[in-house]
Amino acid sequence: MTTKWTNRTRLLLVSLLVTSLFLITLDLRGLNIISSLRTAAQSALTPFQSLSTSMLTPISNFLEDLGGLRTAQSRVAELEKENRELRNTNILNRNVEGELKQLKGVLDLAGKAKYKTVSARVIGKGGTASIGETIIIDKGSRSGITIDMTVISESGLVGVVKSVSNNASIVMLMSDPNFRLGVRVAGSQFMGILSGEGGENYSLQMLSAASDLSVGDVLLSRGSSGDKPFVPGVPVGRVSFVENSLGQLTKRAKVEPYVDFNSLGVVSVVFESVAGDPGDALVSKAPKPAPTVTVFVTPTPNE
Amino acid sequence: MNIARIPYIFLTLIGVFVLQEALINRINFLVGGFSIYLVLVIAWTLQEEPSNAMLIGFFAGFIADFSPTLESPFGLWTLILTGFCYFLATTVRGNLDPQLSPLQMTLVTASSSAALLILFIAVGAILGQELSSISILLTEIIGNTLWSLVLAPVYIPVTIKFYKLSLTARER
Repeated sequence: MTTKWTNRTRLLLVSLLVTSLFLITLDLRGLNIISSLRTAAQSALTPFQSLSTSMLTPISNFLEDLGGLRTAQSRVAELEKENRELRNTNILNRNVEGELKQLKGVLDLAGKAKYKTVSARVIGKGGTASIGETIIIDKGSRSGITIDMTVISESGLVGVVKSVSNNASIVMLMSDPNFRLGVRVAGSQFMGILSGEGGENYSLQMLSAASDLSVGDVLLSRGSSGDKPFVPGVPVGRVSFVENSLGQLTKRAKVEPYVDFNSLGVVSVVFESVAGDPGDALVSKAPKPAPTVTVFVTPTPNE
Repeated sequence: MNIARIPYIFLTLIGVFVLQEALINRINFLVGGFSIYLVLVIAWTLQEEPSNAMLIGFFAGFIADFSPTLESPFGLWTLILTGFCYFLATTVRGNLDPQLSPLQMTLVTASSSAALLILFIAVGAILGQELSSISILLTEIIGNTLWSLVLAPVYIPVTIKFYKLSLTARER
């Protein structure tokens, strides 16, 4: 019985091995049926593989994210740093653009009046121990600057040089309470004294009570002997309010300056007015006052 | 083998084959890969009589040959699994206790899966199949053995369960 069983088993084993070898031979001989069997198996497996992919993808993504967390963090830090640098560059570019615009404006102004100037960048602001409202510019005696020289910007008068070192100068602004300037009303020969009162306030005292002064009049610097401290013809500001002068010896007014001292980037220091007094030539360069907006309100009839 | 067992065994093998191809093959194991199909066939064979083991090896090999990613000739797995399962059921199991301990099962299954892979590569090479580099082959074999050892507590009880379910009432 055992021998019979063993023989049957051996016979079965041989049959199965021969079948296997037969299959291998068929495949090695390049029978199409064999290769199409695997293709069919692939087709049958595809839905299962798609299902497993959709099941495994979130898990594998999660694991990959966990693995790549450190890399991602360093990448984020790198990008943040790059972003900061780009933002700084952008701010720098905008500053340069603004400075260029101001430089072009001030050179236009100086060119029109034929002023001999040197341009400088504003490198600091604020009061010092001796002078009230000031700015610091990056040019000094090495550039030929001396004290009591007029400083202008694209919009008009800025102030006067009060202190000079080799590579920097301190400029007293028009807004300083100690600032006094002889001015002339453009288009006439009426003269007055402009005084800084700190901040945005300026007062004008005309030399004659008979002066014809009205709101919107443009004021120009009258000029000093030897162009120091002031060259003539620089736009200073415009009259914003005229006080009632009845019973007073002189006429008083409030003045709105052309220069915004908070946005000064580039200024020019005037050495001399080569062509003398430019007269009212720079009046057109002065910023024009914004037009008054009139609003008409029509009441809605009650329903 | 009772003819009533054949459909059950066949369906079980196909199910595990699909699991292997669709899911296990897609998992990125740290070292090499893991073939649940091979270890299940080995573990199952260790429970069977030699003639049954041989038939199970033949069916398993025939199904394994359908793997679309295989580059070996069709029938190679059939040949190797038929012969190897017979060898396991006669020689290996004959020299051990009829009731294998879990440790014995684990060691025999893991080492047999390594031997099967080596045999498959060797016979494939003889038949003219292109081989990967030695380092890749070693990583695959060592990785598969390692995962067979590590995952034995999972797949051996499952295999025994499948085996017991395949038996007819009289065989139980």
